[in-house]
Amino acid sequence: MLEAGAPDITPLGDAALVVRSPLARELLASLTGRPLPGVREAVPALGVLTVLYDPLTVGPEELTAALAWRLSGLEAQSENTGRTLTLPVTFGGPDLAWCAERVGLDVPGLVRALCGLTLEVAFLGFTPGFAFLTGLPEGLRMPRLDTPCERVPAGSVALGGPWAGVYPRETPGGWRIVGHTDAVLFDVARADPVLWRAGDRVRFENVSELDG
Amino acid sequence: MVESPSLTVERPGLLTTVQDAGRRSRALGVPEGGAADPVARRLANALVGNSADAAGLELTLSGPTLRFHADALISLCGAPFEARLDGGPFPLWRAVPIRAGQTLSILGTGRGARAFLAVRGGLDGQEAFGSRSTDLRTGFGGLEGRALRAGDRLFCFVRPHAKPLRAFINPDLQTPTGPNFVLRALPTPEATPDLLAALCGPTLTVSGQADRMGVRLSESVPTPHDPTRISFPNPPGAVQLPPDGRPILLLPDAGTHGGYLTPLVVASVDCPALGQLRPGDRVRFQVVTVREAHGALRARERSLRAVEAALSWWYMRK
Repeated sequence: MLEAGAPDITPLGDAALVVRSPLARELLASLTGRPLPGVREAVPALGVLTVLYDPLTVGPEELTAALAWRLSGLEAQSENTGRTLTLPVTFGGPDLAWCAERVGLDVPGLVRALCGLTLEVAFLGFTPGFAFLTGLPEGLRMPRLDTPCERVPAGSVALGGPWAGVYPRETPGGWRIVGHTDAVLFDVARADPVLWRAGDRVRFENVSELDG
Repeated sequence: MVESPSLTVERPGLLTTVQDAGRRSRALGVPEGGAADPVARRLANALVGNSADAAGLELTLSGPTLRFHADALISLCGAPFEARLDGGPFPLWRAVPIRAGQTLSILGTGRGARAFLAVRGGLDGQEAFGSRSTDLRTGFGGLEGRALRAGDRLFCFVRPHAKPLRAFINPDLQTPTGPNFVLRALPTPEATPDLLAALCGPTLTVSGQADRMGVRLSESVPTPHDPTRISFPNPPGAVQLPPDGRPILLLPDAGTHGGYLTPLVVASVDCPALGQLRPGDRVRFQVVTVREAHGALRARERSLRAVEAALSWWYMRK
């Protein structure tokens, strides 16, 4: 058991530390603003920050202490400083009807429920431009496919476990596809190649009728 | 104005890409990229007086044929590829002067998988997230985000000509090229005693599924199924176990996050060796402590930096 207040920081290999903390996101912001010596990159996931370090510059004990010290001075950011993005979605993915039936709604009902949510970018990862969107209520969570699809088309809007997400490009994928967006999530030619950032709020806008 | 030196690709080889030291944008979901054997990249660059992170060409299993349109100073480091300059012998691990009009033909290698070709001045290429490395999966960086094709033209940055150094690199510094590898590795909190015994006892074989994203091993180890495991950042050198139990060793183009069990992470000192694994090679994992891993890394880094400093001194003096 951890002592009360002792941060949970564990090694992962010989060049990474894993920080598990409700303040993971605040720690990332702090490290981005004021980098610690020897830290190559800090990579977030849900309630986790993986800190990749250069063992030739800093030792794991020294870095653990520095991270613990940094954490002790942080406070939870109650205010979300992210932007709100609206994502135009054409609903009608291959799994839409299956998902609606599972939650006991008709298709328009599920679409209304999804468009009524404010999701949040928890973290980015998997492939450039892919965002793990959190905020699905328990009733709208979908089990992942038993066998992942070899090719999920780019722009697919999908639900998997506690997450919603959009596939930036054609990849294999194991989530339930409920729609499609034309929004360009990743374009290396843009000044800001990735559309969203952790902390941004996302709303789906139903544009299905406009097309039909 | 000085025209940038250039070269034409006459034959692309199996998979030849522009690579440098890679990028640090994992938090945006962008893979690290970069030369899969960074030791070969550093030494090749040092031999021609480049900074360690200059972009060059990474060759895979079978190399390209390149025609040079200007005098150049080049070096080829990595797996023992057979190479010919205008039909004559071309030595690896040396700085070699090239005259305009000459053709370098790089054939195959009997051991290892990759080599790095450095050109004095460094290659130009599309820069994205601070690196010119080619990301094949998403298609950006380097040359249009793709592998070289016949007819492509590559440009280098202009650097004053330099007299090539007549030194050679101590072979002890070279990344091992198999066919038998011992990979030092560190267990993670996901490593159960059973998993460790299954992974670290036997000799395992590299399967035909080996690319810049990862190398799959042929043997299957009994894998506990954990459907609740959530996606988690992948450190470099992670050894993942998908539900079928055939381990995947992650290379520089691997996705930034993964949902598979990760019982081992290859020690930093042995990550360059992952870039030299080829189908049929035999791999054994050897558990080491963090202290041992760092000791080995520091020892190699001392030698590498000594070579880089000596070569840099040669090119700086006048």
